[in-house]
Amino acid sequence: MTHDTDVLVIGAGPAGAVAAWEAKRAAPELDVVLLERDARVGTPVRCAEGVGDGGLREFADPDGAPWVARKITRVVFVAPDDTEVKVAERDVGWILDRTRFDAYLAQRAVALGAELLVSTEASAMTCEPDGRWCVRLRGTEGEATCRARVVIGTDGVEAMVGRWAGLDTRVPARDMESCAQYVVEGIDVDPDAIYLQFGAGIAPGGYAWVFPKSPGVANVGLGLVALKADARNARQYLDAWIARRYPRGAKTACTVGGVIVHTTIRQTYTDGVLVAGDAAHMINPLSGGGIVNAMKAGRLAGRVATAAIRAGDTSASRLSAYHAGWMELLGDDHLKYYRLKRALEDLDDQFFNSLARTANAIPPEKRTLGRIFAHALVRHPQLIPVAARFFI
Amino acid sequence: MQPAPAFPEIAVVDLQVCDRCGLCLPLCPPEAIHLALTDLVVDRSTCTGCRKCIAPCPVGALTMVPA
Repeated sequence: MTHDTDVLVIGAGPAGAVAAWEAKRAAPELDVVLLERDARVGTPVRCAEGVGDGGLREFADPDGAPWVARKITRVVFVAPDDTEVKVAERDVGWILDRTRFDAYLAQRAVALGAELLVSTEASAMTCEPDGRWCVRLRGTEGEATCRARVVIGTDGVEAMVGRWAGLDTRVPARDMESCAQYVVEGIDVDPDAIYLQFGAGIAPGGYAWVFPKSPGVANVGLGLVALKADARNARQYLDAWIARRYPRGAKTACTVGGVIVHTTIRQTYTDGVLVAGDAAHMINPLSGGGIVNAMKAGRLAGRVATAAIRAGDTSASRLSAYHAGWMELLGDDHLKYYRLKRALEDLDDQFFNSLARTANAIPPEKRTLGRIFAHALVRHPQLIPVAARFFI
Repeated sequence: MQPAPAFPEIAVVDLQVCDRCGLCLPLCPPEAIHLALTDLVVDRSTCTGCRKCIAPCPVGALTMVPA
């Protein structure tokens, strides 16, 4: 069976759902198919589920939404020696219920006329002489093929679409965070705050997090760079951390995954193909956050793809507008954040412990990230070259 | 860095332990690892035994075996 479409979006996470939605919104007359490998959009959840307020509101209104688990109004940084630094911010962000959030985004695309195929995975794709891509599909009802004018690859960290299209999506080992997370019940944390702890013995090259979903229940996880770790894997580091910090917590629902803390792949497009979100390494390399980035890239991809199809030109040179647009929007900022990340890697636990004491000397109500940074530059001159790396 | 093994080795995945998260795919320089819905496969003829996928696996599902 062969299915023809204008746009085929592979992967129904935030990038894919927004790409499909934007494609139908921009060009209702075009056919858009959204593919999801799992039986349900939004499962399994491989995510800490935190998202900033401003970025989220570009796409959906979180106030009272059923796909929100918790509003976050405080950030607490925890130094390697357990010194807590509460940062004063307002409207910081939200902890999502990704199962519901992803389903909501996909449903929005379907409501505009996109066709959603679940339990269906793309297993290969080849370019035909007329420039269309022929994608082999495997689903519960057997094999099929789908021919598309533009394929948008939003297939996450594994990035098979990019690979099939000849794009280089490989990651150096030092820029891959190995992550593990449990939903932990029965822990005593501020349900309105997220906690981030750094430390070479806790999460080397990354950080550990507590993102509350409801009072007493939180996503508790960590990401580390294996090259900096001892012989233990991410889940073993996490088990040790939880045993020390939350010995009475009940661990449920373990998930693991990779977060690419690199910069956008050199080329995110080729003839008839765009890649977006984690698949194109569009993650903030400093925070590891990627949900809003994925949605912004998906929106751009949906827009550029439909404009190209309408113009009858889906060549790489036409689709390169997507890459340029992304780099201007966020990709160039990620290059700066990446340089900052690399510079911060040289600082040790002793430095972060001492930085925490400097920060806590600022009165709590005035303790914003900006002020902490300004005080830190004065008190810790070793930060000056780090700050310089951000700009140079 | 691991010393070069006396005999060639390749990576294998323990499917009982693997969570199919896909982390190892972009780490593989020769792109020898493939993920399908039900299994994750290391292509024996493509794997160069470089070990880059071993330590980063969050659950330790990848190990080296004689080629």
